[in-house]
Amino acid sequence: MTQALHHDVAIAGAGIVGASVAWHLAQAGLRVAVIDAVGPAAAASGASDGAVSVASKKPGPLARLASASLLYTRDLAGQGLLAGAFHARPSYVFGQGDAEIAALDALIDKLAQIAGPVRVTGDGGAGALPGLGAAVERLVTLDGEGHMPGHKAVRAYLAAPGITPIWPARIRGLDSDDAGVTIDLGDRRLRAGHLVAALGVSTPALFPALPVQPRAGQLFVTDRGPAGTLPGSLTAAAYLVAKTDAPGVLPLPPVVIDPLTTGQFLIGSSREDHADPTRVDFATMRQLMRRAVDAFPALAERRVIRAFAGIRAAVADSLPIVGPLPGAPRITVATGFEGDGICLSALIGREVARMVQGLAPTDALATDLAALTPARFGAPLQEARA
Amino acid sequence: MRDTVLVVGAGLAGLSAATELARAGLPVLVVDQAQAVGGAIHRQPLPGVRSIASGAQKRRWAGVMAGVAAQGGRITLALGTRFGGVDHTGAVLLTGAMNRLIRPRALALALGARESVQPRPGWTLPGVETAGSLQTRLKTLAEAPAGRVLLAGSGPLLLALGAELVKLGRPPLAILEAGRPFARPLAALRLPRSYWAEAATYLTRLRLARVPILTGTHLTAIRAEGGALVAEATGGRRLTADHIALHDGIRSNDIGLPDCATLPVVRLGDCREALGARAALADGRAGGAALAARLLGRPEPAPDAELARQRAAQALLAQLYAHDGAARLADLPGDTVICRCEARTVNDLRALGPSPRARQLRLDGRFAMGPCQGRFCGDWVARLAAADNPGPDTPTPGIGAPRWPARPIAVADLLAATDETEGETR
Amino acid sequence: MTTGTIFWAGQPVPFRVGETVASALMRAGIAAFGTAPTGQARAVFCGIGLCQGCLIRAEGRITEACLLPARDGLRLSPEIGGDDA
Repeated sequence: MTQALHHDVAIAGAGIVGASVAWHLAQAGLRVAVIDAVGPAAAASGASDGAVSVASKKPGPLARLASASLLYTRDLAGQGLLAGAFHARPSYVFGQGDAEIAALDALIDKLAQIAGPVRVTGDGGAGALPGLGAAVERLVTLDGEGHMPGHKAVRAYLAAPGITPIWPARIRGLDSDDAGVTIDLGDRRLRAGHLVAALGVSTPALFPALPVQPRAGQLFVTDRGPAGTLPGSLTAAAYLVAKTDAPGVLPLPPVVIDPLTTGQFLIGSSREDHADPTRVDFATMRQLMRRAVDAFPALAERRVIRAFAGIRAAVADSLPIVGPLPGAPRITVATGFEGDGICLSALIGREVARMVQGLAPTDALATDLAALTPARFGAPLQEARA
Repeated sequence: MRDTVLVVGAGLAGLSAATELARAGLPVLVVDQAQAVGGAIHRQPLPGVRSIASGAQKRRWAGVMAGVAAQGGRITLALGTRFGGVDHTGAVLLTGAMNRLIRPRALALALGARESVQPRPGWTLPGVETAGSLQTRLKTLAEAPAGRVLLAGSGPLLLALGAELVKLGRPPLAILEAGRPFARPLAALRLPRSYWAEAATYLTRLRLARVPILTGTHLTAIRAEGGALVAEATGGRRLTADHIALHDGIRSNDIGLPDCATLPVVRLGDCREALGARAALADGRAGGAALAARLLGRPEPAPDAELARQRAAQALLAQLYAHDGAARLADLPGDTVICRCEARTVNDLRALGPSPRARQLRLDGRFAMGPCQGRFCGDWVARLAAADNPGPDTPTPGIGAPRWPARPIAVADLLAATDETEGETR
Repeated sequence: MTTGTIFWAGQPVPFRVGETVASALMRAGIAAFGTAPTGQARAVFCGIGLCQGCLIRAEGRITEACLLPARDGLRLSPEIGGDDA
């Protein structure tokens, strides 16, 4: 089959990972199209807390990659690209009771092993930060992390020349061969040399064999309020436990209190196995807000003005899926980041762009990236025809 | 609580629905955020204050209250109590005087209307409020504010409010009506008699007091000057007032009310369709009876024909009052505030570029992201954005995503609420 | 008619029983209720708890003045900068 190429690379998904891949490829001079069923940052990226956090990552390859991505994100911010999106700020993790205190020890060990840009600058009681409450028995202060609202980063990436936006457009089916990929958009077909599938929760619609499951996290937004904010995010150690271990019984509600640049707070987050962004409930809201107030009593004066569930793409082994699709060398997958896409997007964008161009991964990252390969799920995967 | 039907709103629709539900034998809890029953239209005066309502209004309300009284103990009324919302499990949070988390058997939402007010320079100044806001105070206090009052915008409410000010001995400076409702008297003849009677009363009172009613006149800008408000209107008019009441129509107050699959939810009266008092009464009655029949497994009654009559009358009124005011949005100065909550301006909207999408308007523009949840800017933002690009992705009529909860919830109230849902599942 | 006194930023303001805080303040000639975190003046606009324009601070909560019933001795302050002590 010989067809004229419309684009060198088509990217399915205009979330933060797809946008970063698109920008990196466009920088390399390739003609890139970004296809999305809705538009930029329409799913998890737009409903994220924006934490660029290494502390919350599963130890091992993911935490090491996150650390490298944090450094690279700071570079991109320094160069101007992400200057309006990323800002550095301290982060705080607190614990109460034996299980959480132990999780803080594990956190400190993990960061020491990585020896990356995130440093523990404090480890003590609630007194280290003014305004903390009785729920904070131990507070670990981290320096080097930051905050980046997903939609802002997506906008920055996609503004680059050489990127053709195609939305709203739903991909009905794919045909890949040795020379490229034909993409069926219903009313038309596109031909691209490569396809990068950064589809998040929509992954199974085109690749049913990839074990990506929706996981919902309820988030609550407060009003701006009169005063009393935090210099950085305040995370319960239970959240680290929830993110790093298989879902099970948590010691306490896994609350994260995130101060926004507007003066509002974003408070999360539950972890539930469904895909309904409107499914929020008062019981969860009360449970999380009660612990949030116990940790930071000034929140009692705020009002919750909005609640929603962010729907993330989770993978059974809690690792993203990144790499060429077995049996379809012209298709590369980058999905399943759950809550980690904000932090990992910069690095994954760069490395996926290298894969697509036939370049070897950045040396130091090769082993850790290999752990994310889709091939870990066994037999060659066939793309679906919708 | 699980046998109780929760009715939110103690106005015409809410209380007439409550009466029908109770008449069918169901226990009913009616909550209202105000300290008195009546909703917006029949807001009752403070204790010891003489009502300014007309004879017809008093008779209508007395009828509603007699219906409630006849049901005795089956209707519980909780005033000063706000509806925080219903979640997907069917739990409802109430805050204020009755601070509880409950699981009702069904939910009837009669939250009334919200006023539509078109953005204009200066519309956020203290002393500028909606006509409904001023009218609520007149009804509760039977007293007009000190100083000069100017009424502007469009719709029959301006005439009603003007007449009430006359009745209280303080005629408004003028009524600036953007439409020309008197220009087509033959068409107006098709309105129901009761509309005519009401309008005649208002107009007579306004004429006797020599209140200028300037039709086809838009209030274009307001500025604060020397402790007063200076209003500029089309035709080069300039009026100085101490209070300005604006009104550009009503909309259903149905924001933040996503459907709930776990319990029956109905919307009644203006909350379902903004058709005014007569329709609210009929809709409350019919909707209450229909909900009761549904809950008790009885055949549902036929819809009330009054609703169709009122819909036709309101459509005709809308035609009579039609004007080109919305076209003025495109000419607003760039620093005009559109979103009152977060002071987002026309310039902020334009900075999003051509044909912004709903998500972009919210996430990048921060429109409809404040605590009013887009109730006052959403329609205008959508219209301004659509003016650029009337394409299929035009975010209309609102700007997307349903909001939840139904209103801002004080964290302190959330945590203090008595949980009556424990052990109750559905 | 029964009356009482509330305190706005420390100043006594009379009210009638059943009246909202917003109504009492406006009758006393107080139309501006302080400043919002976004800079605009706080004031009554919709009068029915929807627009969130008249937020004030009362007893540790930020609340709509147009919905809050006045109560004898109630101490109120602007959302920002005041204290209700």
